[in-house]
Amino acid sequence: MDAGTWLWAILLLPAPAAGLAALLRSPAAVLRAACAGVLATAAVAWVASARVLSAGALRAGGGWLSLDALSAFHLSVLTLIYALSSLFALVYFGEEIRAGTLRLRAARRFAALWLGSLAAMSLVLVSENLGLMWVGIEATTISTAFLICVHPEARSLEATWKYLLICSVGVAFAFMGTLLLAASTERVPLGGGGTLGWGRLLESAASLDPGTVKAGFLFLLVGYGTKVGLAPLHGWLPDAHSQAPAPVSAIFSGFMLNTALYCILRTLPIAEAATGRVGWASDLLLGFGGLSVVVAAAFIVTQHDLKRLLAYHSVEHLGIIALGAGLGRAGVFAALLHTLNHALCKALGFFCAGRLGQLYGTHDMRQIAGSLRGAPAWGGGLLASFLALIGAAPFAIFLSELLILRAAIERGSVLAALAFLAGAGIVFAGALRHAIAMAWGDLPAGARREAPSPLSAALVLGPLAALLLLGIWVPGPLREALESAADLVEAPR
Amino acid sequence: MTSGADAVLAGVAVTNFWLLGASRLGHSIRVTAAQGILLGFLPLLAAGADGGALSLRVLALVAASVLLKGLLFPRLLFRGIREASIRREIEPYVGFTTSLVLGLVLLAVSLGIGTRLPLPHRPVSTLAVPIALFTMLSGLFLIVSRRKALTQVLGYLVLEDGIYAFGVLAVGEIPLLVEFGVLLDAFVAVFAMGIAIHRIHREFDHIDADRLKVLRG
Repeated sequence: MDAGTWLWAILLLPAPAAGLAALLRSPAAVLRAACAGVLATAAVAWVASARVLSAGALRAGGGWLSLDALSAFHLSVLTLIYALSSLFALVYFGEEIRAGTLRLRAARRFAALWLGSLAAMSLVLVSENLGLMWVGIEATTISTAFLICVHPEARSLEATWKYLLICSVGVAFAFMGTLLLAASTERVPLGGGGTLGWGRLLESAASLDPGTVKAGFLFLLVGYGTKVGLAPLHGWLPDAHSQAPAPVSAIFSGFMLNTALYCILRTLPIAEAATGRVGWASDLLLGFGGLSVVVAAAFIVTQHDLKRLLAYHSVEHLGIIALGAGLGRAGVFAALLHTLNHALCKALGFFCAGRLGQLYGTHDMRQIAGSLRGAPAWGGGLLASFLALIGAAPFAIFLSELLILRAAIERGSVLAALAFLAGAGIVFAGALRHAIAMAWGDLPAGARREAPSPLSAALVLGPLAALLLLGIWVPGPLREALESAADLVEAPR
Repeated sequence: MTSGADAVLAGVAVTNFWLLGASRLGHSIRVTAAQGILLGFLPLLAAGADGGALSLRVLALVAASVLLKGLLFPRLLFRGIREASIRREIEPYVGFTTSLVLGLVLLAVSLGIGTRLPLPHRPVSTLAVPIALFTMLSGLFLIVSRRKALTQVLGYLVLEDGIYAFGVLAVGEIPLLVEFGVLLDAFVAVFAMGIAIHRIHREFDHIDADRLKVLRG
């Protein structure tokens, strides 16, 4: 198969699956079709990523599409989380189909939006052009907005509106940033292929206009940062994460935020090279990251809603990833490892929280107790994901956080290290209290019990095993992939 | 042709003040449409000033933006008012007089920043960057200071107008895909917001964004 065909296949495969889903006559069959479409796309994406690792970047579409180490890594994590969440959607919506609350129309709408969002996020990752990347983010915003209100009710509509408005303004800012970067190429003889290809921008970064690049990067950071949920731009995030159905929350938190952060990672080396590699752009990222960690910690302590709690954990961890990305080569490596760890862990967390929410009829943590006895798979998974999220050893997040802390100390960023330690410390104490109370204690009267099924056990044990394994050993090919991805963000000197 | 661009930009500034002081919803929709049409003709003036011939591409861009902003959006918005039978007053958080005074402050700030911003490409008109910034800031202010979901959509459109003006006048060559991208963006966003408003209205019987405040903390 021709190299470029892989990239087109990733973008186009969701379409026939969505078409099939629109023709099927039962909600369960519609969901299975969507799941099959996602799994097929994921398989193609993994094969393509493996080829990138062995044979270098793929290109297609006259230079508009490309897949290199950085985007291949993000694409594999995206499709992994999407595949897991699609399987979980069968469990989660299966319950609603039995209860008669998910009808055919809603299931079809969900399938179309679910597959559309996958294609939109893939477009962001495989485009070799800042303009096309921006179109992908815009499409992602619109298609995911209506995934929040699969069940249109007061709260989910409120969350949809906030998400749509705040992120549209963010995306508009990102467009302004893209325009400014285009303006900065005025004195560069770029010629054909579009002035916004980031490969070209990076090659000729030294001759870009530094002042305009600075203004452009600021707009891009604020615009895409809104979508990442970096404090203080995170206003929409807890609402959207808590009101969306659990499989959607898992995608939001597990990877959609990282898609926007990926756009910032792409422009970071351009901004650094154009401003003379003095760490101007990295420091900005460092500032936003540190602030996010501290702000999230404050909200985590006072939270009572389980899914909102997990949402603030996303603000914290995306802050940690941004922090790492601003800390030079070692920090970028750790940040990318953290991206994988956080995605796995947060998907697991939202799976368990969503299913427990269905069993207990509430997401209020004060009314959830004894989950280890009532639903061993989900209760145990939630406890484990909390332990992993707060950075307890030997889970993988402990390792990547340690690497980020080391990068901060080696670089002499005392303030970043302090913000990170303070935030992590508060989160550790605050979240552990909730986790223990939900796992043990007496089962409330109204709560249902559920014996583990093979699928639910696999959905919990799979990510958990990966998190434990990655905590003690990073396999050779993964290390290699992360190294070459990190080189693209921060070239070794 | 520079004087033509100057006149259009001055007109845009006037529409911004008009919107800041407007108390009727229908009126605001019409003024926003007028602003969109004014800006729609900018690519013609910009192309003329650069001495280039009017290409088919420029004409297509002008036609698309005038049709979209001058005809389609107002229609969608007026239909929104009728369907949701909204009260026609704007109900601001910040009074109209205060809004106008703040508008003056925003204009001064934009002139201050806009004339100092070091752009490698000399804009078609010296007013281009300041007025684009002023329009963006007015849009943002309208979003945060007005109560109805529909007025927030208008604010978003004004913000997009500002970015469009900047893109057309202050950036040299940008790919066609991106030029149409911003129009597509405005269209899709307004469309999506329209659907959301429709659903909110069906569920709540009102579209006051300030009453959407169950979710906190």
